Amino acid sequence: MMPLCWPLALFEKPAPVWHDSVWPLLLLPLCLGISIVYKSIKCSSMKRVAREALVLCAIIIVVMLLVAGGLAVLVKLLEMR
Amino acid sequence: MSPTQQQPPASLTVLVGWLVPGAGYLLHGQKARGLTVAITIVVLFVMGLWIGGMMVVQAPPSANPLQIIGQRPWFMGQVLIGPLCFVPIVVAPWIGALPGHARVHDLGTLYTAVAGMLNLLVIIDSSFRVRGPRESR
Repeated sequence: MMPLCWPLALFEKPAPVWHDSVWPLLLLPLCLGISIVYKSIKCSSMKRVAREALVLCAIIIVVMLLVAGGLAVLVKLLEMR
Repeated sequence: MSPTQQQPPASLTVLVGWLVPGAGYLLHGQKARGLTVAITIVVLFVMGLWIGGMMVVQAPPSANPLQIIGQRPWFMGQVLIGPLCFVPIVVAPWIGALPGHARVHDLGTLYTAVAGMLNLLVIIDSSFRVRGPRESR
């Protein structure tokens, strides 16, 4: 097999992000990307996109945390029964 | 683009938007919007390849849409990003890319498929802008 230049070597195998303290953080850039594209579509002026995308990203993360917390409580309650 | 200029047809906007993410907006002269979505979508796709390795995008066994949905459902989302989707399919065997497993593979697949589906939203929006500027919010 031929030696790879470093940009290709980055994609040769999966990134070492499987630890439980790391992989949830990878949802943050995904939320930010979705927010930026969504607000780029919705906003009439691109000047407002940055601020509104950050707000939307924060809302998505807070709602995800609340849902995760709610589900965790539900699981605990079911375990106690 | 000023209203007096000839607008490109919606079909051309759709085709160009699929070939290059965000290019549909560039056709309408909306450079900032086009570049913003293009960079964001491509970065998400490349991040997916970095997280899960190039094997997160795998060619379907046949061109039959039903088989694609049954065996490689995420490919339907990934292919929406355009010809960029076929780069990992071609390059992965060439560099001997290793497949990911479990969460890493899932996250990489999620990133690449979401990038493709965001491009679908962008294609739809840019083609509807052919009808004229949307009302200000």
